[in-house]
Amino acid sequence: MKSAPDRRRFLQTSAMLATGAALGGPLSRLLGAADTVLMPFENGERDLVAYPQKRPLIRMTARPPQLETPFAVFNEGLLTPNDAFFVRYHLSDIPTSVDPGAFRLKIHGKVATPLTLSLDDIKKLAPPVEVVAVNQCSGNSRGFFKPRVNGGQLGHGAMGNARWTGVAVKTILEKAGLAKEARQVAFNGLDKPPLPGTPDFVKALDVDHALDGEVMLAWAMNGEDLPMLNGYPLRLVVPGYYGTYWVKHVDDIEVLDSVFTGFWMSAAYRTPDTPGRSVAPGTTAKKTEPIQRFTIRSFITSLTDQATVTVGRETVVRGIAFDSGQGIREVAFSSDGGRTWRVANLGEDLGRYSFREWKIAFTPTQRGSHTLMARALNRIGESQPLEPLWNPAGYLRNVVETVHVEAV
Amino acid sequence: MKNRRFIALVAALGAVVRVTALEIQLPAETARLIASPLPGYALATGMCYNCHSVDYFKMQPTSARAYWQATVTKMQKTFAAPVPDEAIAPIVDYLVKTYGAEKSTAPKPGS
Repeated sequence: MKSAPDRRRFLQTSAMLATGAALGGPLSRLLGAADTVLMPFENGERDLVAYPQKRPLIRMTARPPQLETPFAVFNEGLLTPNDAFFVRYHLSDIPTSVDPGAFRLKIHGKVATPLTLSLDDIKKLAPPVEVVAVNQCSGNSRGFFKPRVNGGQLGHGAMGNARWTGVAVKTILEKAGLAKEARQVAFNGLDKPPLPGTPDFVKALDVDHALDGEVMLAWAMNGEDLPMLNGYPLRLVVPGYYGTYWVKHVDDIEVLDSVFTGFWMSAAYRTPDTPGRSVAPGTTAKKTEPIQRFTIRSFITSLTDQATVTVGRETVVRGIAFDSGQGIREVAFSSDGGRTWRVANLGEDLGRYSFREWKIAFTPTQRGSHTLMARALNRIGESQPLEPLWNPAGYLRNVVETVHVEAV
Repeated sequence: MKNRRFIALVAALGAVVRVTALEIQLPAETARLIASPLPGYALATGMCYNCHSVDYFKMQPTSARAYWQATVTKMQKTFAAPVPDEAIAPIVDYLVKTYGAEKSTAPKPGS
């Protein structure tokens, strides 16, 4: 990776680290900060750092770790390898050691029988369920918002697609027995705030959602134990919903008779309560609601911006599309900046929550710059806007993305 | 359901079940606050690192004083950081002049 010449222009040595930091040169190299990557927006310098169980990923923050998947990974296959899967924590007291034999999950609150379950207990509750599903950060691609929005300045790499194996939350809740007044289910994990007064990261789902049979507690990802930084030993999988609900290291489930009012539901991760969940750029929303399902998106993955193609020679353009679980019906491709569109061929179907591959042949007939675009359509008619929608937190980005290539 | 298969491969999964504790060691944190003669530099150094690394600052788009004010206030009020009221103004001043819209990118005359 480090020696690939076509990557050199994106990768710089770590000289910048030496300024303002006590560490430089060989020492920083030993500590794993060998390369940097430049995201295509202001203040986009990032270190590429290999964390435990991970290949070098784009480090946005170190404590707590927030790591972004280099975009080239999405052209390697439909499933995102565990060692390349993005990492997002909110608060810095994260678990770095978990004994699977001592781990216990508690289910309490408005239930008939409070439970304390070991991992073995959980795995024996029912035959394992499996789903291929995309997990995507609410703020994925925030760095591309115009006007810019504060927060984690992510490119497109805070998403990933994996095969999750676990037990349906429905199975656990039915074992505990829900009280009639049960209204929401709150999920908490081993990651804690650094100070006692800091709001713990807890997320809640409506009871009906938690009981839909699809929401699961997963112990495996692509056939292996979850990496620590992706929520070992158990994480919530909420297919079609933004990653904020996919609580990691889940060890506490509380059934509530009211709407959960913790900070991470009532103040954070909210979108405008408007059509398109958007407001005029630079304005605020009068009314907000908790963020919900993914917007529909598609990406060209086989060609990067400023790539070179050959006049008169066929190039197969490849990419991915996904939505909130309605299922991708069609992906349209344009090589002329959106003036004309052709329908791409859809690839293997790994399920309606998965990335869907698409491919199309493209033969440039003239020299010069070509503006490539992909636009997905799902089974209920949702598509991607040609002009970006805007909201104050920089969530839900799904504008048609553009890749400029040069035909020579 | 098409997207979901029930599998009974308990034996196969058993092969990947870990019996010892999973332990990781996180790589070193390298970001440091940019040094400054402003009084807020020492205050920020004494407070910001307590809860998080300081790479949050330099990645932000160029942001006005109101953003840094709101952010430091959020640390105190919402996240319960023990930041004394009198420390807020100098920390905000340091942040906006070092990382934000009041940063001087050109050398100062006479310096």
